[in-house]
Amino acid sequence: MRDVAVVSIGYTRVSEHWEKSLKGLFVEASLKALESAGLSARSLDGIYVANALSGYIQGQTNLANVLADSLGLYDKFAISVDAGGASGAVAIHEAYRDVAHGIRDLVLVCGVEKMSEASPQEMVSALTSVEDQEQLRYTSVTVHSLAALIYKTYLKRYEVKQEDIALMSVVDHEHALTCSHAQYPFKLSVEAIMDSAFLAEPIRVLEAPSPADGAAAIIMCSHETAKELGLPHVRVAASEIARDRFNLMEREDLLAMRALVEASRRAYDRANIKSSDLSFAELYDDYSVMGVIALEKLGFCGPGEGVELLRSGEVKLRGSMPVNTFGGLKARGAPLGAIGVYQAAEAFLQLTNGAGQNQVKDARIGLTHTSCGFNSVVVINLFEACC
Amino acid sequence: MATSAYWRTRLHRYRLVGNKCVACGRIFFPPRLVCSNCGSTKLEEHKLPERGKLVEYTIVHLAPKGYDAVVPYVIGIVELENGVRVVAQITDVDVNEVREGMEVELTIRRLPEQLEGGMICYTYKFRPVIS
Repeated sequence: MRDVAVVSIGYTRVSEHWEKSLKGLFVEASLKALESAGLSARSLDGIYVANALSGYIQGQTNLANVLADSLGLYDKFAISVDAGGASGAVAIHEAYRDVAHGIRDLVLVCGVEKMSEASPQEMVSALTSVEDQEQLRYTSVTVHSLAALIYKTYLKRYEVKQEDIALMSVVDHEHALTCSHAQYPFKLSVEAIMDSAFLAEPIRVLEAPSPADGAAAIIMCSHETAKELGLPHVRVAASEIARDRFNLMEREDLLAMRALVEASRRAYDRANIKSSDLSFAELYDDYSVMGVIALEKLGFCGPGEGVELLRSGEVKLRGSMPVNTFGGLKARGAPLGAIGVYQAAEAFLQLTNGAGQNQVKDARIGLTHTSCGFNSVVVINLFEACC
Repeated sequence: MATSAYWRTRLHRYRLVGNKCVACGRIFFPPRLVCSNCGSTKLEEHKLPERGKLVEYTIVHLAPKGYDAVVPYVIGIVELENGVRVVAQITDVDVNEVREGMEVELTIRRLPEQLEGGMICYTYKFRPVIS
């Protein structure tokens, strides 16, 4: 296997981009990544496009081919990757495999999502469409209600307060303050969270991301090609995918998150590191409690200790284990299928000393955790600074 | 939604019929084609008990399309008498009176949406047992 590098990134701000279409977002992020590498679209071997909801919201299927056309990319492969919230990271996994095995040498991965075109009710249905419809359709069960059942189980088992779990969202917002691509670059207090409306009790609106539009792109190639191009780059140290039962009622324990434990264990083994060797981690905190659980399952603290770790401040930019260094899902924003690519782009910024005020000191190796369906699908990608 | 798609799932939606793995005995709802416990493909129809207790619940405030007229409503995990857990709407209960451990039973209720041609659809919900 060859060493795989990320040589360039590009992204739009996460926002409600009323004036930009799926194509507009995709082309903007892709061209930024190409321009900063000094490459043309025609030099690519092809593209992976990650997206979760365009078939549902825009009625646009066959997305990769339609978007490749909008970029003027002909004679090359274009493959759509659809894995709900994990789409972006699965697409990176695909490109990693291609390059590592010498099948392709210069591949662009772009994640794009446009959620602002759905009403709040349509968005609940769209987000729930990622789950098994044979189980959930026509039952009025929503993703928010499933998250609430996990949340209540956590509160009871570890006897913690919701105000402490909500600190996850507070940290996200603090890190987004100085992030120019964040959807919500402002401070958020626990009081404001607890005063916001319920999605499904006890989950407050301000403990989960809001619908967002955005696109992020990265260019991946072999380590040799990266050197030939003379570009600053980071190495992909591992890319692991694990899966678990979609139907939460088939899981022995709602808090086990077996796929998260398994994917991270394999990634650490592959890179020959321990969780304490990480310089930072980007977590998939689609609900505050899911971020807290991730802290534990990734090995940063023991079971039930996530809240203490949050309170200690060690997860902040200057702490010993910074997480969500640009605001995470809550504050950077969560354009569903693009999340994994935003996380990778942020890891690239950290590892090339390009994170500005959000820079983690001496960043050497970073983790991205991307998932869908309450860790039914988990991708752990590890990125490492070169030289 | 196509009428046939609804018709196909009538047993599990209207009668709470799941299936049981012949090899390892695990019971599934909704029914599965391959056992997620042992991988066996030999599963047989299995009618689930219609009573159980509410082990966890949440009150939904942001509903999916078609359900916004009925918020707030209760979604809960029902542990049936045979230990199988089902996630479903809990109906006929005031959101202020729902509680863990509540005895509940199956009831079939009309859905807010209709199929093409006006066919009325129903689904399973659970309601408190009145003693």
